[in-house]
Amino acid sequence: MSLIEIKDLKVHYPIRTGFWNRITDSVRAVDGITFNIEAGETYGLVGESGSGKSTTGKSVVGLEKVTSGSILYKGQDITKAENRRKLDYNRDVQMIFQDSLSSLNPRKRIEDIIAEPLRNFEHLSKDDEKLRVLQLLDIVGLDADALYKYPHQFSGGQRQRIGVARAVATNPKLIIADEPVSALDLSVQAQVLNFMKKIQREFGISYLFISHDLGVVRHMCNNIAIMNRGRLVEIGTRDDIYNHPLHIYTKRLLAAIPETNVNQREAHRASRLAVEKVYQEQQSKYYDDDGEAYPLVQISKTHAVALPQALAQQLATQEGEVQA
Amino acid sequence: MAENFEQHSDISAADLARLSQEAQAEATPSTAKIIWSEFKADRPAMAALFIIVGFIVFVMVGALFINTPKMMETNIMAYFNQPFTPEFWLGADSGGRSVAKQLIVGSRNSIGIAIGLTIISSTFGICWGLISGYFNGYIDWGMQRVYDFMMMLPMTMMIIVLVTIIPHYNSVTLTFIFSIFYWEGTSRLIRSRTLAEAEKDYVAASRTSGTSHWKIIFREIMPNISSLIIVDCTLSFAENIGVETGLSYLGFGLPSQTPSLGTMISNANDPNNITQYWWTWLPAALEIIILCLAISYVGQVLRRAADASQRQGAAD
Ligand SMILES: Nc1ncnc2c1ncn2[C@@H]1O[C@H](COP(=O)(O)OP(=O)(O)OP(=O)(O)O)[C@@H](O)[C@H]1O
Ligand SMILES: [Mg+2]
Repeated sequence: MSLIEIKDLKVHYPIRTGFWNRITDSVRAVDGITFNIEAGETYGLVGESGSGKSTTGKSVVGLEKVTSGSILYKGQDITKAENRRKLDYNRDVQMIFQDSLSSLNPRKRIEDIIAEPLRNFEHLSKDDEKLRVLQLLDIVGLDADALYKYPHQFSGGQRQRIGVARAVATNPKLIIADEPVSALDLSVQAQVLNFMKKIQREFGISYLFISHDLGVVRHMCNNIAIMNRGRLVEIGTRDDIYNHPLHIYTKRLLAAIPETNVNQREAHRASRLAVEKVYQEQQSKYYDDDGEAYPLVQISKTHAVALPQALAQQLATQEGEVQA
Repeated sequence: MAENFEQHSDISAADLARLSQEAQAEATPSTAKIIWSEFKADRPAMAALFIIVGFIVFVMVGALFINTPKMMETNIMAYFNQPFTPEFWLGADSGGRSVAKQLIVGSRNSIGIAIGLTIISSTFGICWGLISGYFNGYIDWGMQRVYDFMMMLPMTMMIIVLVTIIPHYNSVTLTFIFSIFYWEGTSRLIRSRTLAEAEKDYVAASRTSGTSHWKIIFREIMPNISSLIIVDCTLSFAENIGVETGLSYLGFGLPSQTPSLGTMISNANDPNNITQYWWTWLPAALEIIILCLAISYVGQVLRRAADASQRQGAAD
């Protein structure tokens, strides 16, 4: 059984207007997505801005009111607040936020910030609690004198570590990492990612790793889902996605990864333009008449893509030939 | 599970005392300390604080020694007595009543009403705004319709009507009547900031940490808008001194037998008093101006201290 099973999840935001506040329309931020997260793995959720990644992540931690669909944890549907309470759900599922500054209460000292989940879920004695906080600071590589400081006294990378310390405080099974490094500069990104991996190994945590950058996801994730306008357009292993992408949207995201090898810049540019051309010309083939993604069809045991059956098969064989 | 953390960290219980002591030494000063050093760095504000506190204590205590009904008795002999005489330091009014004594009792009444009004209306307005802004959705919508309704009522007229309807009122009832109409501004202000604050990730983080809604509202969000609350309260306090004064001046505040800053200033309604008998109204007017200025000075310092980033005095 998977750790978390997300089934046909939909989150629609009503648009209300007028004096009576009637619902006149809705934003379909997440529109029917299904995937599973296994224990101990890092699952990547990738898509451009506004594709509904954060909304998905927030639904999984229980911050978002879900329109329909279910999220199963230990066989219980945690989209219901009552089930979350019964399971002490957030003790097992925590979140790291994108903006480290806004995710730490500026009026609280680091000790109180990290201890918050402990106080609510574990009820330790005062000394045990302080000891745990000090250990957590040590694990994320911060000194003990951080204890009585305030968030603004730290750098962005240090703050994100504090966010990680808070998330692992109750030793959770799953952490939703919503673009945890996209606000940090490159050198610090690598640091934070590395110790997120280290913590994963040591504590056996699963991550739902949300990012808009396939370059970062490559280093973190075994399984990846590509999200586009609230729907999943491709699911697969790292190999499936990076080496045999089928959906044009995936190809575009891949083409957008900056090329670091100077000698191949020209070739990279050419392939990016080619992908862009296909996207412009063949959009109607890849999306249905309303411009929305098709339902997913299974290509192999691990690989699924949102295309009509026939096209999917055709592309898959083409892709196979290229590889052969 | 604790072993899990023991394994991956070198820190053990033995280090606890030493490490927390080290951390204590590095700790950021507490809010009270920051506020105090802020006052020390700003002399005019320090003076303003002493003026306000000293004056309030003086009138509160002083008024206890004055027999008000006796003081308010008419004394023909002292009709418009000149000021700076041994018996009448600030002279006497048309009824021969000591202006100095009236000023003390009147200040007590006016300031008492202003303090009461500020406490009641601000507390209510802050809670209303916080709850309305945090819960967003139907609760917010309902609370905002109540707010709209209250704003539609013509405030001054309603107060005047209520004051005329209620047969026996004193400063306490008057404070409550005012309070009904003075929480709206605060609530709107607080709500708009709460709306923005509730969107921030630290609120989401608190929710995933298992903290309850009420704790989030009053322990997480409220401290973050404390500078706004402090500024709003000081400004309302200054404004509320004016509320009672204004209505009493118009004759709808406290009854004329109860001295207040408003009733004293209304002496200036008589053109004779304005030019000839200036001592009947000038002290009260000056007092209001000085008080309001001092309060706004203190408010500024409190705000600076609350905005930790803006502080001047604290050596950081
Ligand atoms: N509270 C809300 N009310 C209405 N619409 C919303 C709300 N939150 C998000 N949306 C909309 O839902 C869509 C998905 O938003 P979401 O934040 O999940 O995107 P995202 O993939 O995380 O993007 P980014 O990479 O920029 O963080 C967007 O179009 C956004 O405008
Ligand atoms: Mg996002």
